[in-house]
Amino acid sequence: MVSHTRYRLKRHHKFEQDDRKYVADIETGDIVQINDVEWQILSRYASQTLHQMIEALKKTYKLTTIFDGIERLEHLGREGTLLHPVVEAVEPTVAHWQQRDQKPKVLVPFHFTVEKSSLDYITNLNRYQFLTHLAAFAELETLSFPEEKKTAVQDLDAVEVRNIDVAAGNALMPPWYAMDGYNGILLLSQFLTDDLLYYRIPDVPIVHCIEGSQRLQHVLLKVLLMLRAFQSPKDTLVVKASWMKEWITELGVLADNVRVIPDGIDVVAPIGDKALAKQHTAALFENPMFAKQPVVGLISGFEPRRGAAWISEFARANPHLAIFVYDTLLEQQYRYPPENVVIFSADDEETLSVLPIFFQALDLVCFPAMPGTPLSIVLEAMAYGAPCVAMTKYGMPAEVSGAGVVVKSDWDHASNFRISISELSNTINQWLKPSHTRTECENVAKGLAQKFTWEKVAQKIVQCFEEGHQQSVNAFRRERNVSPPVFCRRYDPGSGTTESSVYRAGSNRYDCLKTALAEILVEQHTPAEIEAVFKHFQGKASLP
Amino acid sequence: MLDFPKMLHALYFFEEAGASYAADLEKARVVELSAAMADILKVAETQTHTEIVRILRASYAEEAILEAFERLAELEKEGLLFNRGENLQWSFETESKWRKLLVVLPNFSVDSFFDIETLSAGTNMALSYMIRHLTKYADLHFTGSQNRKITDGVYEVDINIEDLVRLRSQIGETYYGILTLHQEQERWLLPLYRYPEFPPILVQCHAPRGHGGQAMNSLLRHYAAMRECDGFTAPSDYVREFYADYVWDPSFFNTLPNGVDAELFKPMDKAAAKREIAKTAGDDRIESASTVGYLSRVQSEKGASVYLKLAKLNPHLLFLIAGPSLGRYASRKLPDNLVYVGFHPREKLPLIYNAFDVYCFPSMSGEETFGLTVLEAMACGVPPVVPNFDGVPSVVGDTGLVADADNFDQDIATLVSYPCPIDFSDKINRLLNNAELWQTLSKKARERAVLFTWDKTADRIVKLFEALHRKKKLINRNRLLNVFVPPHPLEEGQHEPTHKSFVLSMNEHYERCFIRDAMYPLRVEDGLVLSILKDHTPREAEAILAEWVPDKTEARAILKRVLGLVNGTT
Repeated sequence: MVSHTRYRLKRHHKFEQDDRKYVADIETGDIVQINDVEWQILSRYASQTLHQMIEALKKTYKLTTIFDGIERLEHLGREGTLLHPVVEAVEPTVAHWQQRDQKPKVLVPFHFTVEKSSLDYITNLNRYQFLTHLAAFAELETLSFPEEKKTAVQDLDAVEVRNIDVAAGNALMPPWYAMDGYNGILLLSQFLTDDLLYYRIPDVPIVHCIEGSQRLQHVLLKVLLMLRAFQSPKDTLVVKASWMKEWITELGVLADNVRVIPDGIDVVAPIGDKALAKQHTAALFENPMFAKQPVVGLISGFEPRRGAAWISEFARANPHLAIFVYDTLLEQQYRYPPENVVIFSADDEETLSVLPIFFQALDLVCFPAMPGTPLSIVLEAMAYGAPCVAMTKYGMPAEVSGAGVVVKSDWDHASNFRISISELSNTINQWLKPSHTRTECENVAKGLAQKFTWEKVAQKIVQCFEEGHQQSVNAFRRERNVSPPVFCRRYDPGSGTTESSVYRAGSNRYDCLKTALAEILVEQHTPAEIEAVFKHFQGKASLP
Repeated sequence: MLDFPKMLHALYFFEEAGASYAADLEKARVVELSAAMADILKVAETQTHTEIVRILRASYAEEAILEAFERLAELEKEGLLFNRGENLQWSFETESKWRKLLVVLPNFSVDSFFDIETLSAGTNMALSYMIRHLTKYADLHFTGSQNRKITDGVYEVDINIEDLVRLRSQIGETYYGILTLHQEQERWLLPLYRYPEFPPILVQCHAPRGHGGQAMNSLLRHYAAMRECDGFTAPSDYVREFYADYVWDPSFFNTLPNGVDAELFKPMDKAAAKREIAKTAGDDRIESASTVGYLSRVQSEKGASVYLKLAKLNPHLLFLIAGPSLGRYASRKLPDNLVYVGFHPREKLPLIYNAFDVYCFPSMSGEETFGLTVLEAMACGVPPVVPNFDGVPSVVGDTGLVADADNFDQDIATLVSYPCPIDFSDKINRLLNNAELWQTLSKKARERAVLFTWDKTADRIVKLFEALHRKKKLINRNRLLNVFVPPHPLEEGQHEPTHKSFVLSMNEHYERCFIRDAMYPLRVEDGLVLSILKDHTPREAEAILAEWVPDKTEARAILKRVLGLVNGTT
């Protein structure tokens, strides 16, 4: 795919002679005969982006002719004529943002109308918060096409809407417009939509945020696999909790460029002391146990049927505890919980407004560190000074390190959650007692509000774009092979049979087919894809 | 020292950042010029050396003038700036309106093709005839080191094989096709296939086997690297079909039979011919005996040892050998009935053939794909006996007898067959002992031979180029984008996942190439072929599929399907 940001025009001279057009590369001494469109491209190459060139030339020439022209010139560049590969062009971009205090320009393609209904209220709210804060560090823009239905971005002031005036007969797809000077693309889609096509744009880093939301668990793995295939080293997959990264590592689908960036948390001023919060909670739930008994908050994202069974067992084993469950699906589907359990989720502004009161009432926060559990809710619940008991198979999640204790648990993709109820009960009851360790954990928990701010999230996302640009530079240092291998059959006069091989014209010898194939695939595909190809053929044929 | 006045190449002078340059359009090179060099070039075509020096002295020091001449002399040696040889521009523009073919034969002297006595190998001989007849249909420009007219419509042009890639646009514009000979020319020919600018390239291919498999391997490399608009010629249907066993697309191989000069090679008074050869060879027995003839190099692969055995088996017959020498057999005691009749110029060959009663062709070489001498003997009305191997029986048809041969499955050096001496001997005797059969075959041999004309061969070459041009118009680059998706870790081992590859609905030019969805599932095999077709040929994809897809029918179906996908979405 063409992208002239990778080449610098050499010292050259264009001229016409006998109705033919030529360009002389003064640095190499080569003369190349060029056509009209190549002449035009060369005139613009040093000053215009690929996007600008094509937008300007497509009025006069057919798109294919222009792309072919660029491709031919860049092929010449790979042979050392006319164009010179550059590595330094991108580096100043990052320096440019920092030194001049300038914001990177980031495209955020939206499919919110589709996704909003699939996500819970808090996740949607977090997206709003995220984009609003990101706007302080990046210029956010989205694209709007007249033939498409209006997207629901009107309520997101942080994102500027760029209306693409598409002329009749325009054949270019939306990713083309992402070539117009953006420093990055932020993808928020949780589904496999047209957004994947943005991954085929060269050089522009993509940051794709995956929610790990409870409602998306069934598609999550497929989405991750797909993203892994599409991502190149310049792109970043952002997950919202460390256990998400652990999980995909365990499944063997982890690429190097996965970052854990938890959402920011919003902590309001406490309404008073914990006792007052407990009284309010008891009043709001019309259940006096919240004022009288130790309150344990369970933040989860269980598959409803299995979650309900597990919570019931735990609650019955601990009748002396008041258990506050935050779980969006259980809240809707768990009809008859034990008496010491209330289930809640914030589904609108009103329910959200009372959530901090409940959190302040918690003596301990308990959560399964597994996909579906909303980390931001866990952190918000702890931020009023509640230590945590993390039910995890990977060890203490880094986000809450120093603020609690771990109880070993296990779970699988089918949402089978296994934990020793007695061990969990013992640990919880132990941690409800005052102790020096508990006090230390309370203090760490109180510091979470400062640690997980939306501002920091926004800064980390911008950093991902910066690192992506650096990776683009590194990726291009791996030059394409100008003299590619020739895959051919090879006759063995000794046996009279033929086998497939690869011939290297440069060295006049045969070489390893698999290595050469990997070489050509690496020019078009990600390492994960190449691995997928070779895995597929292993065992099917005589693959070494 | 350069001799002025001197013709210049088409040059374009320009200045850039204070320096002067000459763009040599004929060599596609830019040369930086000193002021003195530029001034010399301005008058180079009209003034003598002395006059130029006189003019320059007004502006330059002696040393600068000398330096300028020295530098220009160096550039001339490199083939730059100055025309080497004749000015052909006028000839090209006015003499002929034929299509121009560029003939690239780096290991041959152009002149040898027009002085047939300098050629020995049948392949070269055939090439020479073919080239000479081709001039009736196209102008031929041989790459070389100077510009000169060789004969009407035939030129040597100052284009070295090193220049080819640099001059590709020019060559593409000037020439209708490139004609070359397959000679394991990997270094310069393989890279040429990568450039769409070049006109169709037709590679004459003579020897599918032999040379310990090298010929075959080289050919398979060329087959893999060729563009859709390039092709091979094979001298016989047999050779073309032979290749079909090794490749999936035999359409790249086109039968191009050799011809024979039926005016030169024709039946003569046999008794007179025998008399004259008897006189030349100094052996009276030739006049009266039944003669078997062999016209070739006296070497193992040409079947010399078999021929000797035939002589031993048939003491009642006279076995004549016409060739450059007896080679290693000269030092042996040869059977008394074996007579070396010497090496003769081409014009005398009809007489030699006519002195044979039977033409014996016991060649065992993998290079023997046609048998030009067999055709020449046939044109002289001499029935041949040939081994049942390679392309020769297809040339003979029913005009001679075909003897048994043990064909090797594997190449050993250049030997790929061993003709059976007993059967050969039986066939020779059958022919010589049956006058009616001999008469019939002699007549049929002549009739069949005259059908193989060099004119037809030349005409076929032009038609092949026309066909390749049609194919060139249909070449599509694969612009589709595809992706491979890692297998679902939780499904591994449970069942065979159906799709792990996708083709995207947006191509690399950001155009929508499929309606509706963003991507469509494919088999991994199909996806792999799509990826290979980005920068490689379908024949290269064929090599990979042949190795990795055990079911060959399915493998071919995959390639067909993906090619259809690519062609259908451009």
